[in-house]
Parts: sequence; structure tokens; C-alpha cells
Amino acid sequence: MPPSASSSRRAGILPGRLTIRDLINALVSGFISGALYASMALGLTIIYGVIHVFNFGHGIVAVLGAYGAWLFLTSLGLGMIPSILISCVAMFFFGLLIYKATIHPLLQKPNWEFSTIIFLLGFGIFLENMLLQAFGPRVKSIPPFFEGAIEIAFVRINWHEVSLVLIVIAFVVALHFFLKKTWIGQAMRAVAQEMDGARVVGININRTFSLAFAVAIAATGFSGILLGTKYYMTPHIGWDWMVKGFVIVVFGGLGSATGAVYGAFILGIAEAMATLYLGALWVWPVWFFIFVIILLLRPQGIAGGRTL
Amino acid sequence: MRKHLTWKKIAVLASLIFIALYPFLHGNSYVMHIFVLFFIWAIVASNWNLLMGYAGIFSLGNIGFLAIGGYTSGILAKSFGISPWICILLGGLGSMVAVTLFLGFPALRLSGIYIALLSLIFADSLPSILTQTRKITGGSMGLHDIPPLFPGMERIHAYYIIFAAFLVILFVIYRIIHSSSGLAFMALRDSQDFATSLGVSEYKEKLKVFAWSAFLTGIAGGFYVHYLGDISPTTLAIEPFLLAIAMMEMGGIGRFPGAVLGAVIIVFGNEFLRLAGILRLALLGAVICLIILFFPGGLMQLVDWLDLKIARIRQRRSAPATS
Repeated sequence: MPPSASSSRRAGILPGRLTIRDLINALVSGFISGALYASMALGLTIIYGVIHVFNFGHGIVAVLGAYGAWLFLTSLGLGMIPSILISCVAMFFFGLLIYKATIHPLLQKPNWEFSTIIFLLGFGIFLENMLLQAFGPRVKSIPPFFEGAIEIAFVRINWHEVSLVLIVIAFVVALHFFLKKTWIGQAMRAVAQEMDGARVVGININRTFSLAFAVAIAATGFSGILLGTKYYMTPHIGWDWMVKGFVIVVFGGLGSATGAVYGAFILGIAEAMATLYLGALWVWPVWFFIFVIILLLRPQGIAGGRTL
Repeated sequence: MRKHLTWKKIAVLASLIFIALYPFLHGNSYVMHIFVLFFIWAIVASNWNLLMGYAGIFSLGNIGFLAIGGYTSGILAKSFGISPWICILLGGLGSMVAVTLFLGFPALRLSGIYIALLSLIFADSLPSILTQTRKITGGSMGLHDIPPLFPGMERIHAYYIIFAAFLVILFVIYRIIHSSSGLAFMALRDSQDFATSLGVSEYKEKLKVFAWSAFLTGIAGGFYVHYLGDISPTTLAIEPFLLAIAMMEMGGIGRFPGAVLGAVIIVFGNEFLRLAGILRLALLGAVICLIILFFPGGLMQLVDWLDLKIARIRQRRSAPATS
């Protein structure tokens, strides 16, 4: 990199000094993190859309999936694809178990809304510290899928990041197909839109709830793996991922899958812009600010009113 | 009503007398320190319970109120040399203003889960604001050498001062709950439409309870910093948050002295569990889960159960005597 470019990046506080090159680089990296955020927010929005439970253990579920894949990769020496698959399937059954054992009985209680949230919060912290006990606080990362980088004009993108964006797109399309075309996906949408109506036409609410929960947990675990290949991971990182997921999901409209995808891209780019113009430390206040603005102006989110 | 002296009143009185006499009975400096922490955390948890249990506003940011009050008071006392007593009040007011502006007003338009998310992110964005304003707040290192309440303050003085504050604030919370305003926000919690149709102003009551809760928690924050002498962004980390949630759940959400009972168990239990190291937080999480799953009423449920048992024993005893 020529010295002039690096010095202009160092003076990133002054917008006048920024070159178009920095701007485009930031846009690209914002787009990539937006794709990752989208994959992460989908699990959250499916659970809220169908069951109306807000998963406050979302972050740790993603971390758990990533640690699972990491464990299969390094300790058992499996290949990348088998370990990701095994991790996702394990997360699916884990979700099923959690739903049957805890969420289902809690939903029968009168103040289920509060108790499920605090339960999931406590459970998340329990899992986080068990992970800490098992794996220690040291930073781990899953190796990238592909080595090397591609250079278009002056923008340098890793092949790994290209593959991540493609995987996320495939993932979103697959999830879309699942929700729109398969029987169980349609049942989930029916329950999300009108629970009594769904019950009348013979959909087993309880079974749909448990499957939606398990699918969302598996999807969250998968997104955790993707995030773990791009960023580092520790047992604590789940909180940061989760809070970002919260803002994205509210931005897109709670329970709306399309909204969550749009929201993730918009916020990913906004985050990159904030890092470029204000510095990395301002990222959290910016997220809070965006969140407040959205809540004040349009609490139903950008795709508001629609469920799943 | 002949039974003015129920077992509950006796128990409360006995424990208050015990706490008041403790420094003379035994006077272990370390245990006194834990008692002071208990007073502060009981105030925080009771205020949280006021907001969450009584007003039904699902706030997750009350540790932020504590931090704002503590930082305001600490900075004013340290940098400007104002008397800590005035600083504590100003810290409470600062917390009240900040919370009403950034949480209270937005929360008027929102419900349930949205308030939970907003308040969580509110408390979560405070540490990065603190590190941004390093010159005033000390950044991630925190604020040190905050002057004590008066020069030459010893632990026993702090013990009695904070004990007094604890009693006063709990009394204030009790009065709020049993005032017409308390009735109004409980009505709003239970049936919003019905309450508004009876002329309860939702805006006024919600703002009022936010302001009170923030003010009292901010004052607790002031006592906290002037007692400990320092505060850092770790106050806003997950552990204090979890402790306060556990206290509320343990005591029983929406029951008045519940949070205080929970605070006793959690603060003292937490000290015992320091031996467990990392597993301590896992245990706390597990305790929260188990309470919600199996004892949703918390300790107050146990108190009610004991109450019923004792009433039955009394009845059985008095029945043959009268007949």
C-alpha cells in the first residue's frame, strides 16, 4: 500500500481526507459482515415469529455451534463439511431437547413472556461458563474455507469471504424454500400468522413450535460457524453477536425473515461506515442510536406488520 | 384484627435488630463489608422489582442506572470537590434525567419485549461511551480515589450510614407501592385498557415509576462509589446484571420485600462461591433456571406457604379451646 493511502486511513476522523478507495473498501466489508449478520438474525426472528419467545440465549447458541464444529475439526480430525453437518444436526436435537424439557412447560404458565426470557438468559450464562470451563478463555478460530484472495481494481477480497457471501445467500434461499414450500414450513408460517386458525385446520401447534425452535437453533449454530471462520471466537463473544442480532431483528421488524435480511445488510454497511468515519469505538453507541431512532419512528420495523 | 405481631413482623424486627447490633456483637470487618454490599444490592434489586414486578415494565438496564448515578457522583466529588452528600443526590438526579430521557420517553411508545431490548442495549452501550470520554471518566481503567462520604470514614461508619439509607429507600419504595400512583401502575400492569378507561394516565404513571426507580438506584450508585472509592466499566459487565436478576427471581418478582430476601441469599452465597472460580457464574445461571422452572414464586412463595402452615397450627390449637 502506498504511504499516502495509509496516512489517509490513519486520519480517518476527518471525512475530507478519506479517499474513495477507503469508502469502497468499507462498503465491501460492510456487505460481507451484513451477510453474516443476516444468517445470524434469521434464527432469532424465526423463534420470535413462530413461538413469540425472544431467545436471550441466542448468542451462546451460535457460539456453541461454532465450538462444536471446531471440536469436530480439530479433535476428531473430520473434514470441514462433515463437522459442520454434525454440528448442525447436534444443534437441532439440542434445540428439540431444550424446547421439550423447558420452554414447553414454561409456556403453560401465566407470565410466560417474562419467565422464558429470564430462563433463556440464565441458561445462556450457564452454557457460556460451562464452555469457558471446558475450553478455556483462549481465542479460537475455525480455519477459512478457501485460501487466497481476488483483486478487482483496488478492492481486495478473500476467496473465503466470497464463499461466505455465497453460502449465506444459499442459506437464505434454502430457508425461504423451507418456509414457503415444505409442509412443515407452511405450518410454521400459519402458526405465526394466526395460531387459532392454524389449530382449526389441524396443525399440531406443539409439534410446530418444537420443530421451529429446533430448526432455528440449528440455523443459529450454523451462522455461529460462519461467524467463527470470519472473526475469532471466545465463549463471551456470543453477547456481542446477540445484541447486534437484536438490533437487526427489531430494525427489520420482529418476526419478519425478509426484514431481518434487509436489516442485516443495512446495519452491516452502517457499521462499516461508522468505523471508517468515527472509529471502531463508536460502533456501539451508533448501534444504540440507530436502535432508538428505529424504535421511535417505526417500531414495527422496515418490513413491519408481516410475519415470517 | 388482634394479630398485630405476626411471625413475619417478628422475623423482620429480629433481623433488623441483628443487623443494627452486628458491629458490636461480632464486628468482623469482612462480614461488615458484605453487609454493606447487601444493602446496596438490595436497594438496586428492590428498585428493579418496582419497575419490573410492580409496574410490569420489562427493563433490563437497571445496572446502567446504578453506573450513571455512581459515575456522576464520583466525578463531581473527585474533580469538582463538591461534598459527597450533595454529589449522591446529584447522581440520583442525573440518573433520573438520563433514564427518563433515553428510556422513559421512548418506552412510552413501546411495550414488553421492545423495552427489554432498548434498556439492555442502553446499558450495553454505556461502557463504550465511558471509554470514549477517557479524560473525565477514566476510561476502561475506571475512576479511582473517589473521596469517601466524610474524611476519615471507617467501615463501621459506612455500615451505619448505608444501613440507614437502605431503610429509608426501602420505606420510600413501600410508600410508592402503596400510594395511589402505585395502585395506578399496578392496574396498568394487570389490565391496561381497563386502567386507562378509568382515567389512569399511562404516560404520567410510567414516567413517574421510571424516574423514581432511576433516582433511587442512582443514589445507591452514589453510596456504592463513595464506599468503595472506585468504579469501572466492569460494573456494567454481565456478572452484576446476573446477580441482580437472580436476586429478584430468588425473592419473587412483584413481591415487596422479595428482592431483599433474594439479595441476602445471593450476596452471601456469592461470597461463599468465590471458591468455585469460573463455575460460580455457571451456578448462578443454573440457579436462575431452576428457580424459574420449579419455584416461580421464589422465596416469597415459601413465606406464604409457612404463613399458611402457621395459621393452620394456630387454628387447630385455638379450636378446641373455644369449643
